[in-house]
Parts: sequence; C-alpha cells; structure tokens
Amino acid sequence: MTRIALSLTINGQTHDVLAEPHRTLLDVLRTDLGLIGTKENCLEAECGVCTVLLEGAAVNACILLAAQCQGRAIVTIEGLAAPGQLHPLQRAFIDHGAVQCGYCIPGMILAAKAYLDTNPEPDGDGVREALAGNLCRCTGYQRIIDAVLSAARALRTSPPSQAAR
Amino acid sequence: MTFDYHEPTSVREAIELSARFGGDGRFLAGGTDLMVQIHRGRLNPRHVVSLQCVPGLDGIEVDGAVRLGARVTHRRLESAEAFQGALRGLAEGAEVVGGHQVRNVATVGGNIVNASPAADVVVVLLALDATLTCLGPAGERTVALDGFATAPGVTGLRPNELLTRASFPRLAPRSATVFLKAGRRRAMEISIACVAARVTLDDLERCQDVRIALGAVAPTAIRARAAERHLEARPLTDGLMRETGRIAAAECRPIGDVRASARYRALLVATLVPRALARCLERIKLGAP
Amino acid sequence: MDAPGKVTGTALYAADFALPGMLYGKVLRSSEPHARLVRIDAGRAARLPGVRAVITAADVPDVRYGGSVKDERVFARDRIRFAGQPLAAVAATSPDAAAAALTAIEVVCEPLRPVFDVAAALAPGAPLVHDAWASYTALPILHRDGNVCNRARIVVGDVERGFVEADRVFENRFTTSSVHQGYTEPRAAVAQWDSSGQVTVWSNTQLPFEIQTTLAEILQLPPSKVRVIVPGIGGGFGGKLRIGVEHFAALLAMKTGRPVKVMTTSEEELTAAYARQPATVAVKTGVTNDGRLTAREARLWFDTGAFAGSGPGVASVATLMLAGPYRIPNLLLEGFAVYTNKTNFGSFRAPSGPQANFAVESQMDIIADALGLDPLELRLKNIVREGEEGPTGQVLTAVGLEECLRRAADAIGWRDRRPEVGRGKGIACGWWTTTGGSSGVYVKVNPDGTVALNTGAAEIGTAALTGAAQVLAEDLGVQMADINVVSADTLSTPFDFGAQGSRTAFAVGNACRAAVADLKRQILALASKHLGVEESALALREGSVVGAGKRATLGELARISQASGGGLIAHGTFVAPPTPYDTKRVEGHVYPAFHSPSFHAHATDLSVDAETGEITIHRYVVAQDVGFAMNPAAIEGQIEGGVAQGLGQALSEEIVYENGRVLNANLTDYKMPTARDVPRVESILVQHPSLVGPFGAKGVGEPPNIEPPAAIANAVASATGVRITSLPITAEKVALALRERAK
Repeated sequence: MTRIALSLTINGQTHDVLAEPHRTLLDVLRTDLGLIGTKENCLEAECGVCTVLLEGAAVNACILLAAQCQGRAIVTIEGLAAPGQLHPLQRAFIDHGAVQCGYCIPGMILAAKAYLDTNPEPDGDGVREALAGNLCRCTGYQRIIDAVLSAARALRTSPPSQAAR
Repeated sequence: MTFDYHEPTSVREAIELSARFGGDGRFLAGGTDLMVQIHRGRLNPRHVVSLQCVPGLDGIEVDGAVRLGARVTHRRLESAEAFQGALRGLAEGAEVVGGHQVRNVATVGGNIVNASPAADVVVVLLALDATLTCLGPAGERTVALDGFATAPGVTGLRPNELLTRASFPRLAPRSATVFLKAGRRRAMEISIACVAARVTLDDLERCQDVRIALGAVAPTAIRARAAERHLEARPLTDGLMRETGRIAAAECRPIGDVRASARYRALLVATLVPRALARCLERIKLGAP
Repeated sequence: MDAPGKVTGTALYAADFALPGMLYGKVLRSSEPHARLVRIDAGRAARLPGVRAVITAADVPDVRYGGSVKDERVFARDRIRFAGQPLAAVAATSPDAAAAALTAIEVVCEPLRPVFDVAAALAPGAPLVHDAWASYTALPILHRDGNVCNRARIVVGDVERGFVEADRVFENRFTTSSVHQGYTEPRAAVAQWDSSGQVTVWSNTQLPFEIQTTLAEILQLPPSKVRVIVPGIGGGFGGKLRIGVEHFAALLAMKTGRPVKVMTTSEEELTAAYARQPATVAVKTGVTNDGRLTAREARLWFDTGAFAGSGPGVASVATLMLAGPYRIPNLLLEGFAVYTNKTNFGSFRAPSGPQANFAVESQMDIIADALGLDPLELRLKNIVREGEEGPTGQVLTAVGLEECLRRAADAIGWRDRRPEVGRGKGIACGWWTTTGGSSGVYVKVNPDGTVALNTGAAEIGTAALTGAAQVLAEDLGVQMADINVVSADTLSTPFDFGAQGSRTAFAVGNACRAAVADLKRQILALASKHLGVEESALALREGSVVGAGKRATLGELARISQASGGGLIAHGTFVAPPTPYDTKRVEGHVYPAFHSPSFHAHATDLSVDAETGEITIHRYVVAQDVGFAMNPAAIEGQIEGGVAQGLGQALSEEIVYENGRVLNANLTDYKMPTARDVPRVESILVQHPSLVGPFGAKGVGEPPNIEPPAAIANAVASATGVRITSLPITAEKVALALRERAK
C-alpha cells in the first residue's frame, strides 16, 4: 500500500507521519503518535469517545481521514492544558465526581470545551444538547452536566492563563 | 480496503477527477455517511476525492432566492441568522441530526446525494421547493429536488456530476416553516418519521400556499400532495389539520424495519402533520405585525 | 483517586495497550445460526500481505470449557451454534490486513434446523442445541434436560392451598429483550509469550483470576504459566466477566511468536458478547381481598443462547427475585436457562434483577388496581420486615425497605398520583444480594509514611477500590492521598473474587480491615519499643503513633522496621460468612440466599403523549438502603448511572433478532440513552447497617439497575391506563396500545 507524507499540527506541534490515505485521524493519533487520550470505540461517529477539536470545532476523529487534516489545527485531550496542569473543565470534572470508568471523559471534555468557547453562559439543557453526541454509560450524565456548568462559571470569572492551543 | 486520496482545488478539477475515476471514485464532504459505509464494507472506493479545498461550495447566500453551497454544514444551517425567522424549519431540520460532532461536518450536499429517505434537511428543502445545481463536464444544469432521489441511495445525479448547491425562493410575507421528527431517543436519532411544513396565509387567513413533506415513510423523502391540495384556500382549523394528517398518512408508503413498524410510522404522520401545521399557524400569528 | 489521569488522557486502558512488534488479531465469525461445519479453508487468507497466522479449530487443543457447564470451544469444530460463533482467527501487521484476510477464508457449511427462542427450544421434538449435553462436565447440582441447562427451583408451603385461600388469583406474562452492557471501551487484550513458556495477557476483564483459570484450561497450561494483568477498564457492568478476546490473543501470539492485540468491534459486541438474557416470565399470584399475598407460582425462562455461560446461576438468582421482597407463605418458583441458537447471553449488572422485577412489580400494580388498593399500601402490607424469613428461609436483618418505600413515595408526591391527564406516577421496589467470595490484600507502610494497598481486584470505575482505600485510611489514621493502590495482576497481587456482584468495596474493604488489625499490632509493638511507652498508652493518629507525650511517624517506624525487621507489612483476607438457609426448599440452585441484602424503591413521575406515545420523565427518585454510606457522592454516582442504564432497558434498548441474526448490530440502531434522555436522578440514601459489611455497608453497584423498567411501566399505566408487558416500553408500543384501547 502506498503511503503519503502527512504533516499534522496537533496541540501546536507539527508531526510528520507516513500513512496510507485511508487511515483515520483517530488511528494515526493512537497508533503512530501514541496520543492515546483520544479513545476508540464504535468507529461510526455514534459514541463520541474519539472527539477532538478541528479548528476549534468538535469532530469525531474516527470518520475523519488523517489526510483531510493537513494544515488544520487539531487539539486533543493531551493539549488542553500544559503538562502537570488542569484546564478548568478537567478540574471541574474531578471536583464534581463526574468521572467513573473515564473512557468517555476525554471526548466529553473536548465537546464541552468547543461548546463553552462559543456559549460561555450555558444552561443545563444547552449542555445536555451539546453533549448528546458523547455516550457515557457510567454516570447518568448528571455530574458531567454539573461539572460543565461549574467550569463555565469558573472560565467566566478567570479564564485559564494557559489557554488551549 | 485502501484508496487513493485526492484534494482538488477547483470545481473543474474535482469534476475531471471524478470523470477519470468513474465508478471507482467517490466525493468526500463531511464523511459522516461515506466513512461509515466504508467501515461497514458496503462501499469500497479506489479513489476518494475530498471537496474540502474546493472553493465556492460553502456559501449561504440570501437575496432574491436562498442559495446553499453543497458543503454548508448542518451546524451552519442551525446557527445562520437567515434561518431564525420564517425559515426556522430549516434550522430545526438541521439541529436534530446527530450530535455536534456530526453536524460540524455533515453537509447539505451530502445529505441530498445520499438519498436517504430519512434525511431531515432534505425533507425541509422539499417543502421549500428547492432546486439543485449540478455541474458536469457538459456544464451546469438545474433540477428540482422533488424527484431527484428515486430510491434509497439513488439519485438523478449523472456520472461525473457534482452537486454544487441547493436553492429555493424566499418566502412570501405571512409564511412559516416547521420541522418535526420522531425517534426513539431525544438526540442522535435517525427519524422514524419526520414532517416539514411550509404555510403561507392570505389576508383572509386562508392557505395561499402549502407544502407538506415527509421523511422515512417512503423509499425517498416525499411531498404529501393530496394533503397539500386538501388545504388549498381554506383556513387552518383544528379539524381540517387533523383531516390533512390522515390524508398524508394515507398517501405515504412506509415500511416496517428495526426502527419502527409501518403502522406506527403512518400514525406518526397523522399526528405530526397537524402539529406542524398548527405550529406554522402559531408562528405566522406571532410574526404578524 | 484515579480521576486526574482520566481527565488528562494519560490513564491507560486495555484498549490503549500496545507492545513493540505487536500484531493485530481479528476473529472470523459464523453468519449461519445453526449449521454443520463441513470445511474451512484458510489457505488463501494466510498468503495475503501482512498476514502472519490464521488459526482454526484444527490448530488449538480440543478443550471444552465453561463455568457451570463445559459446553464451549474456542472455535466451532463440527457444529455452528449461533450467528457470531468464532470459526477462525487471523493475526496480521495491521487491523486492516487482518480484516481483509477474514474475507478470504472459505467456509462451507450445511444449515441445520434451528431453535431461535425459548418456546421453540422447549417444544416437543425440538432440535437439541447440544446433542451430547448429557456427557458434558457440569456442576452436579444443576437440573439439566435437553435444551434446559438448568432448572432452579424454590418450593415453600403449598401453592395450591395458597391459591385456594386467596380471594383472587392473578396470572400475567411478561417478556424482556436482550440489552447490552454498553461499556464505552471495547473488550481488548494483548498477549505475549516469554521464553520460559509463560503467557502474559493484558486485558480489561473484571475477573483476572477467572480469566487466568480459563486460559490455563484452554491452553492446557498450569495456571502459574498464565499471567493476567488489568491495566484499566472502560466500563464492564458484567460484560467483561467471562473470556472474550484473551484466548484469541494468546493463541495467535503463541502461533506467531509476537505480541498480538485483539479488540472487539461494535458489531461483535452486539452479536457475540455477553448481553443480558432475554426472558419470558409467567407469574401467578393469589391474594385476599384486603391485599394479603397468599401464594405465588412463577416461572422465568432465560434464553441463554448457544452455551450455558452464566445462565444456570442467573436462573437461580431469578427465583429469589421472583419472590420479591415480600412475605408470601406458599411459593413455587422456577428459573430456567434454555439453550437456543443465539449468542451466549450473560451477566449484566444485577443479572436477572430487572427481568424478574419488571414482572413481579408490574403485577403488584395490576393487583392493586384490580382490588382498588393503593399500590404503595399493597406493598407496605406485604413487604418483608426485620427478622422475617426470605424465600429460602434465610433470616433477614437490617431491612430498610419500608423506609425506602415511604421516603421514595413522599419525595415523588405519591398522594397526587395522577396530577393531570396523561401524567402519572409509578413505584417499584426490590431487594438484591451483596455477592460474597473471598478477597485478600497486602498492606505495606512505605518509608515516607505512605501506604501501599495491593489487591487482586480491578477498579472498573465504581470507586469501589477508593472505598476500600477509604476503609484503610480510616482504620490506619492516614490521609486518602497517602494510599497508593496496586491492583489486578494474577502473578503479584493476592487472590480476589473480582469486580462483580456489588462486592468490591465490601469484600476488599473488609480484607483491608483485617490487614490493618495485624499492621496495627506490628506498628504499636515497634513504637512501644522505640518510644519506650507501654503499647496500651499508644494510639494511631494522623500518620503517627502518639502516647505519653511522645510521637513517632509511620514513615519513621517503617524505616526502623526496614533496617531491622523487614518492613511493616501485613496481609488481610475476607470471605463473607455463609448465609444459612433451608436446603430443603431449593433444587438445582447455585445461589440459594442473598448475602447482606440491600433493599430499594424507585418512584417516577412522567407524562405520555397520547398520540405519539412519547414518554417524558419529569422526576426520578431512588431510595436505596446502602447499609452505611461510606462515600455518598460515589454511591449517588452509582445510582445515577444505574438508573440511566435501567431507563435504557426500560425505554429504548433492545438487541433485535430475526431468524437468529441481529438486525441492529451497530450504535446507530442500538439505542443507549444520551445526555438529553436521562433525567436528573434524586437519590435518598437509607442506612440500615449490615452485620457483615465494613462499617455496615452493603453492595451498592448493581441495585439501581433493577427497578427502572417496573417503575416506568407502572407510571405509564398510571398515566394512561395502558399496561405494557414487554420491554422496552417504546413510544410505539404505548401509542399502538392506546389506539387498540380506543377502538
């Protein structure tokens, strides 16, 4: 199989990889770049565990070809805060007990981030709607919704110094 | 399993590539359907031609008519200022598709050429008398959306043609649009039945112009023509709207499948049509000076 | 405890696990539900680019394995018993190459007459799913007969006499569909062999020690040659108890000499995993006009699929659930596990609970309506009370059921049961076990004063190990932040019965208490010597030993011990004491009593759209007797999640079969609730301390999943007058039932 040279901008850094053109961004992130925070499950854009930010918008990396991402800024969960630090959303998820098995959480946090970036003053219904593409089987969602609302308040009062790249 | 990836930078180049690959090629827009079909092994293209760098396909233009570029995403439809008033039905059709992740990439053009009978936005466009612009090696042509899809997954798009936009006339004063759908969940649902209605009232509160379009209750999205005729020049009373629902239910041709029975789909049509009409009426009244 | 790693994406799950040089394995599964396997030819597949091995039944030891009945093989050998049964496996350099190879394997088979459901399997002259069932090794206690791989029975008193004593006898039939656990992380395993002939398997199993035993059986190795490590689990809910992909990874790794990873697809999950058994339930209950239950005869048939799996045990548990948490003097209760040509269904959070509870709690409302009694009053009149007997004669203690019912009813505003047209409230109650089994832990004090807890249990996201660590911190007088957990490695951690049956915090917590008792003795003896203070004058406080105005930190004592005595280390074990019951009342029973039972009541307030049948839940209340609320936020999280899953089963989820094939083997059409579907759940923690649990705690993980279907069914009936007797209660069923009634 012929491979093509891809130059991907992920979390502000450039990664050069050789990959077959049919390979998805999810596959390349996890297999070639070791960015395992982006999770794999249904591979059909139904569960949301593979959510990343593409030019700031939440997308499912499982149905996005890596080749489509050249020259476009990608943010994964690893790039949400500097190493050793937590984004207010991450802090809020911990504080609200919104994390059980945790497998859906990176995608959930990124979907929430994209939503809060354009809707800084959300209500509960808005958050539920924004996260409907992310299935969680452990929590029943309530603590996740509460965490996002609380993070929104925190972000309004003191935006993170180390904003996502 | 694998394919070659192409990223043309003009409409002309896209069509040339498509002509060269013929049946081995597929256009890629949002990928929400194509990538799933490839994953399920139902499609196995040798060449994937991405439209993401083709200019001129992502505009929403509103003047004498409304023109939607083929690559306009569902998220843009739901948030566009132009679709918050009388054309609210279009935003309603867009905002109930998938989650944000899907709507951020899923396009109007993809929705139309997929020819799924349950494509929500297509049902609204049908109620808006949309026409489609297709560009091929022989040039551009315009066709009606109504009748464009002929069976699930089958359209009148010719080989090597690219759907570039959907257009529809602006609404007359005293008009409203509404979209309603039923599914098993409140989100992430493929419609088990959906209804789009467009109503224009005359000064005597009678129906001057009505469209009723139905999704997921026939091999393609359809217009409920008998139901539309039933309303001509009559005021929208509760009884009339309910009758209209029953007529629409009688003229749809639903199937039973894993999502719902044919009987329930018809029942939903009978219910959702009068609700959509009633909501149109409500909106016109609210919008009236 | 592990949340920071999970929110930053650094937490490692089995699905993330990789080794250098790793190959990818995929499994070829039968498309036929029942057939004779004539020939399988992998020659062409093996020659494809990137393919390193193809294995079939011919390449693996001919071993039949299984928990209660040894009826399953790694690959179909001569007979295919369900659509989805493994026929071959491929290892290749990429998942794509492995998938391509699967399509190149040629399978020739001759279809056989199938049995697709329980009714067909029990019909006279039905084909046997296992012709040789009688020759299989099985638990001797089971009652097996042809397609029935167990009939569990409870007999108390004389039901015929009880029905004669009754003024009214009610007979109802209910059905439930199969539902999938829906964990977001697929099942995954990576296997690697070393030069000594030991295989290490990194897997997301809930039961590493059971997987070790099963793998050893399949590979025909001593268990010590099989090491199972659980890196991290993205949800289990009972679906990751039994062997799933570990054996394929191990066999392919043996054949190729390379590490091999196997991970399931959504299609495999919905066609060939351990989803909940579909059930048919027939309940006949006698009752006096004033609402006293006199007798119940109930049968529950589980479709266990092509293999027994957990079916015989779950059928046993079902009989206890059919009794309900009620005092009924005459009982004849039977649970059947029946073979069919479907996938081997399995255990899902409170296995048998929702199916049996849906039936008996729906019938309680049917009875109340017919007698003109308030459903709450009918329940209060018949529920078990402190010191009374359970169905098999166990003596019930710490029974918080009345409080659960009253508080749930009060919270939902029970007095106003039908506040408006199309709106109604429903209530359902139940009981459940805290699974026993043994647990062992090692506890070590480190020279910096922190404490290491070494346990064989895996943390599956329920915070159960956090709970155990809390017990440890509490008893040892240290901070939670000072406790580090090493878990779930069959080579290095002590045995644990596993993350199942709501038992982890309970059993590991108790093992921690035992270890701490030993450790305290060591610490105090050493401190006494070191400080020159009598042991009786010393106490553990805030990470130190204090007494007589002197103080030694735990770190200091650990350093002294390391220099002179091998360190401060202790082990603790726990096994739940057996719950006495009347052995004469049971037959074929694998689970004759509920240990430290929990009690619960759910109440909901909902509206039904009279035309579309759409259900809108306004409120959902859970009152659960948790014994002792060790960590209220974590328990509430369990309740919220359990209810969400239960509402999925109640309203939207079902694996739909047609002629033995799944019609909705994808997450587009298998409909788990989204954030827009789940209401806010209000939790009331009732605390009637158990005699056995740490500080009185009872198992909390499974119960919230039991009552939602019944609570919803009862509320829908209250709102509409229409009784839906099959799950899920879809809008379609409600709308069509309303239509029928209008005719």
